[in-house]
Amino acid sequence: MERKRGLQRGFVLHARPYSNTSLLLELLSAEEGRCPAVARGAKGRRSTQSGLLRPFQPLLLELTGRGEVATVARVEPGGRPLSLIGEAGYCGLYVNELMMRLLGRGDPQADLFALYEEVLTRLSVEPERGLLLRRFELEMLKILGYALVLDHDVSSGEPVRADRRYAYLVEQGPVEVLEAARSPQVVSGATLLALRNDADPGVAGRVEARRLMRAVLDHHLGGRPLKSRELFRPRRAGSIEPETSTISDHLDDE
Amino acid sequence: MGERPLLNRLLDALRCLPGVGPKSAQRMALHLLERDREGGRRLARILAEAMERIGHCSRCRTLSESRICALCGNPRRDASQLCVVETPADVVAMEQAIDYSGLYYVLGGRLSPLDGIGPQDIGLDGLEQRLAEAQVEELILATNPTVEGEATAHFIGRIAKDRGVRVTRIAHGVPLGGELEYMDGGTLSHAFAWRTEL
Repeated sequence: MERKRGLQRGFVLHARPYSNTSLLLELLSAEEGRCPAVARGAKGRRSTQSGLLRPFQPLLLELTGRGEVATVARVEPGGRPLSLIGEAGYCGLYVNELMMRLLGRGDPQADLFALYEEVLTRLSVEPERGLLLRRFELEMLKILGYALVLDHDVSSGEPVRADRRYAYLVEQGPVEVLEAARSPQVVSGATLLALRNDADPGVAGRVEARRLMRAVLDHHLGGRPLKSRELFRPRRAGSIEPETSTISDHLDDE
Repeated sequence: MGERPLLNRLLDALRCLPGVGPKSAQRMALHLLERDREGGRRLARILAEAMERIGHCSRCRTLSESRICALCGNPRRDASQLCVVETPADVVAMEQAIDYSGLYYVLGGRLSPLDGIGPQDIGLDGLEQRLAEAQVEELILATNPTVEGEATAHFIGRIAKDRGVRVTRIAHGVPLGGELEYMDGGTLSHAFAWRTEL
């Protein structure tokens, strides 16, 4: 594979040490999608790259090399680093893990790059992180070709109504159920419509939305759960104080 | 088929050391065989003994020959301060550089979900036990200023705060002798945000 010369926009999704002074990176680049790359000497004492080659820092990169694994020939900041501190940092790691798990290598998707950039930027400033993550999950699935049906009952074809309840069949869509039926996959019509319209479904709706998205993602992740979810979970039942609502709102277990 | 020549096996074995490739492995092996057999024998003896006898301190989890390491066993160290680091190498670096009289706790890693390392996989149980002993008044978080190190610091900080322990984080910013012009934006913005009163 021949690589184009010149700088392209990108982010580091993950970096790990490689040999003594190098870094093995997983990049998300605007032009190549997700791709592995080596940054030689980036970890050395004199290198100024190690401060740059880290997640959440917009970059301008020049990649060389013919094989699957590129070499970082040049790197410059492509903007201010996004400051994802504390819980926002957990959310950033979660977003990165989703990208690593759901996006294949060498599949450039301009929309997805823009979406990724947007979610990181918003996570660094907006406090409603749960809703941001739900929107990111929905849009990501849509771009990857797994869009969720949210507006009509897939068995009757009727439009979803806010006052009805629906069982969500993964890879199919909502099917209306009786009011009494309650299971993790049962959501209210109001929640489905809020997700569709990018609106706030309210406190109970957020929990429903989170469970729904979790079930759908778990299906696409093929059984191996996301490790970053563990960061949001309380350490042990009873060992620390009850979670604040902002935390439990993101993605942890009940 | 017979076994591979001993010399080749020695070269391969030496390459488990960091920074040692085929060329340096060859230099080391030939040096020991040609010029310093006694040194080689001593190295082999001590290496074998160290691999068997050096374990982890049961209190701070740093490398130690005894069940309790010299630092933890020293009655003059201040048990009210506990400094959390990622690796035993960090303990050595801190001890050499600073005049700190408190104790340490070595996590043996950091939270790195993308490498499959979650809260169950680093030494949080031992740390919680230390915090429960109620001697600790200040927990100093000295994990590395990487994205993973920050996540680890935040995670542990929450555990400690819930127990009413004062939590501090080591400062990070412009390195001594560094020049602002060449500094990366992340370091600089952090240094600026956490500036101190003169």
